[in-house]
Amino acid sequence: MQEESDNKSTVSAELKTVKKSPSFWVETWQRFKRRKMAMMALVYIGFLCFVAIFAPAIAGTKPIICKYKGHIYFPALGYFRRQWENPIFYKDRFRNRYPENLKQKDPDSWAIWPLVYQDPYRRVYDDEWKGQPGNPTQDNGAPSLRNWFGTDQRGVDVFAQMVHGTTIALLVGFVSMGIAGVIGILVGALAGFYGKWIDMVLSRMIEVVMCIPTLILILAIIAIIDSPTIWHMMAIIGLTGWTGIARLARAEFMRLRESDFVLAARTTGVGQFRIIFRYILPNSLAPVLVPITFGIAAAILIESGLSFLGFGAPPPNPSWGTLLNLGRQNLQMWWLIFFPGMAIFLAVLAYNLIGEGLQEASDPRLRDA
Amino acid sequence: MYQYPRFNLFVLALFLMMTLTGCPGPATEETGEEADSETKEVLLEPFDAPKLADLDAQVEWEDQPVLDSLELLRERQSQEKPQVTVEEALKLKNTDQEMNEKILSALGRLPENDEQVDWGATINRHVGADLKSTNPIMGSSAVEFEVSSLTGFGLFSFDWNFKPFAVSDTVVSWQSSKDKLYDKVVLRDDLTWSDGTPITAHDIVFTFKTIMNPAVPVPAVRSGTDQIRWIQAYDDQTLVFFHKESLPTNVWNLNFPIIPKHIYEKELESDPTLQDSPYHVKFENDPVTGGPYQFEKRERGQEILLKRRESWYMQDGKQVRTRPYFERVRLRIIEDPNTALLALKNGKIDEMALNPELWKTQTEDDDFYKICTKANGLEWVYFYFGWNCETLFFQDKEVRQAMSYAFNHKEMLDELCYGLYQPCTGIFHETAWMSPDPMSKPYQQNLAKAEKLLDEAGWIDHDGDGIRDKEFDGKVIPFRFSIMTSSQPLSLSICTLLKENLAQIGIICEVKPTEFTVMQDKARNHQFQAMFGGWGTGTDPDTSINLWKTEAARNYVNYSNPEVDKLFEEGRREFDKEKRAKIYGKIHELLYDDQPYTWLYFRNSFYGFNKDLRGYVFSPRGPYGYGPGFSSLWKPVEN
Repeated sequence: MQEESDNKSTVSAELKTVKKSPSFWVETWQRFKRRKMAMMALVYIGFLCFVAIFAPAIAGTKPIICKYKGHIYFPALGYFRRQWENPIFYKDRFRNRYPENLKQKDPDSWAIWPLVYQDPYRRVYDDEWKGQPGNPTQDNGAPSLRNWFGTDQRGVDVFAQMVHGTTIALLVGFVSMGIAGVIGILVGALAGFYGKWIDMVLSRMIEVVMCIPTLILILAIIAIIDSPTIWHMMAIIGLTGWTGIARLARAEFMRLRESDFVLAARTTGVGQFRIIFRYILPNSLAPVLVPITFGIAAAILIESGLSFLGFGAPPPNPSWGTLLNLGRQNLQMWWLIFFPGMAIFLAVLAYNLIGEGLQEASDPRLRDA
Repeated sequence: MYQYPRFNLFVLALFLMMTLTGCPGPATEETGEEADSETKEVLLEPFDAPKLADLDAQVEWEDQPVLDSLELLRERQSQEKPQVTVEEALKLKNTDQEMNEKILSALGRLPENDEQVDWGATINRHVGADLKSTNPIMGSSAVEFEVSSLTGFGLFSFDWNFKPFAVSDTVVSWQSSKDKLYDKVVLRDDLTWSDGTPITAHDIVFTFKTIMNPAVPVPAVRSGTDQIRWIQAYDDQTLVFFHKESLPTNVWNLNFPIIPKHIYEKELESDPTLQDSPYHVKFENDPVTGGPYQFEKRERGQEILLKRRESWYMQDGKQVRTRPYFERVRLRIIEDPNTALLALKNGKIDEMALNPELWKTQTEDDDFYKICTKANGLEWVYFYFGWNCETLFFQDKEVRQAMSYAFNHKEMLDELCYGLYQPCTGIFHETAWMSPDPMSKPYQQNLAKAEKLLDEAGWIDHDGDGIRDKEFDGKVIPFRFSIMTSSQPLSLSICTLLKENLAQIGIICEVKPTEFTVMQDKARNHQFQAMFGGWGTGTDPDTSINLWKTEAARNYVNYSNPEVDKLFEEGRREFDKEKRAKIYGKIHELLYDDQPYTWLYFRNSFYGFNKDLRGYVFSPRGPYGYGPGFSSLWKPVEN
């Protein structure tokens, strides 16, 4: 029987083309897809990315597209970089008040406006937008139809700040863990692949870096740097947060360098770097991705914590943590705590769920659990 | 009780003011520059004092006032009628200035007779930080001066109009020479230290020499005192102060805290720190004091408990001085303002300074008014944007004026400051005697005018990138600067508003929150382009010479105007008060025109009080920083 069926399958294999067994990543993805919570988290992160990219189109006081004096402009890009906002509007003395000036200075102009006419950096004043009254200031800014998430003490819309703050939250996670990932994998790969004294030196280095307290280092650096920005913070989080990744990568490399396919590659004379990056790395990536996702969550928390303590990016920065800090001064303004608090909580939760999903989907021991 | 803490100093209210709202009166004071420099130099040259008879023959003495500050206040209040009764005032809510006046007129009064006063009462005061030293000459922060004004005694004080007088509790007579070069003071002979030793003129001379002793690390009180040439004690009661120069401001240097000679002379040589040796530690923990209160208990970081000293006002069964209203004064140390407010609402403390946010948002409801009430008064503490006049950006007057025109003053006053502060237009308040007539007008936002001024000054967007620039020696400099400020929420939002306003006219301003000590250091070394800060008031307009004279120690913004320099020199030599007022008014106008600062607002003082408390009267230095100040507070007997 056994033989027969074997024969059969060989026959059918000869008839059809051989069906390629699904790759490790495809299999992982299949299993990941089955986890509802992890998928929801992934969709949520996708949604946050969308919000971050289109922030100026969701909330802002500058038109997304406008036609002015015969040309098409995209003033909303100024929210990303000041230089991307055409200086013509400065030259024509718009003074950052578009709705009124566009009409006044060119009656034929038209514009497509963001969904919500609110600015993350400043208060909207009386009659800036078709009879809309100015934002309430002090502690009067409870959520309303005009200010969905309320306003802070200065009268700046919380919704607009949170939408634009998404960019910071996501960037902090991606950039810092990008840096940490590159360093961690490189160090881990070298240590694990070469072993001996290289491993010895690099492992000690990992231990040294592990001892550096990130938060205190950031506080110290911020005191030294003349004008600290959010990028400095990301760099420091990245430069200190790679140790866990490196340790996992090192273990994976140690395991895989003894495996058959590496031996095969070696005997056929494949170069060392090719072995490291083309043969071993793709196969060791799965366990490394898990600490990266958790690291992103931690980075978001660190940034929020720093902003909460008032050591974040210089004002006015629409970071979630900064909003929390504003709320701390007056606990009656619950909207300054609830909305950004929820945003931080959900983002961190989502990353943790993704990390957990990834861990379980990629770990063969947990495969069918 | 006595305001010896450095009223000659132009108090540095700078940045920390807002964090120190718990500490009334002189907030932070910079240590005198002299204290920082090497201790080797001789601060006091020997002086051969003339004989008293010779001096009397040579000098024409003028009698000066010797007053009891409480009497002074009582006299003033006898002409003011309370607008409401006490019962009504206790029911009022302090919602506007009219209510504030009603509350103050009824509750801020001295008792009509002694039967009203609960003589056994304890007052629990709020302080924001602990005491560093109980030795009054070692004081450098608000708390230390607060405590030493209760435990110590002074020869001089000044009233709410900053009129100096000698204190009748300690002084029999005070005479000044016509040219203000000498001051002769006769002490009362019934003063004793808390250990029973009589207080004599020799204690004062000893303290003066100790303060001027370069080996003794005196942090703050040396500045001002070092303007005195010599003090000579002719007998146990008679003192003559010799000044260096004939100046009308000499009177402000006369007062300094006094330490007992018989305690400190013993180990001054072997331990000039007055703090390290076991002997000095003993007296640090249990100091011998000369004032109306003495230390009863001290729990570090928790509280300081002071007790009324019987021997201060009773001698041989006879009352010789006014009896202080409280039997005990407890200073509770609470750093966080929100925690302090809770303590006030629970009756754990009887008074505290409030910040505008607390005043406006958390002290409005019935919960607060259950056992507390609140009052405010004008305080001459102003806040400003300082423009470093040596930078390329701000060297032109036009640019600085443009900055003042660009800023949205109305938004700041009405929204960010909760409508609680008055606009400030210059170095003097309009109610001060030295303010100009007519008073300078507050700046209003006028972007068109700001743009015009900038265009005229040559700051035009030449390269079309949306940022103004100007060419200096062939190099194009864009108008991009940073403003340094404390991390206090209010300072940050004011600077952010400036940033927003300047962005509208093509100037990039970066807000740089800076830690207090770093900021102080950078300010002193002029390493900044613009800064947000604040100054408290001195008692004499001459004190601001420190801020405006070319290269003066606190001329952070590098301002230099020969005319202002000249006027300050004239002002300190002019004896006629009206002419002085004219001179200082002129200085005010010149500074207003030059705008080295954009003056923003006067920060009033806001206080929460327990309903049991009476007798608070506000002065331009808050409710405590003058005479009588704290000693006018009392608690009524319960009916």
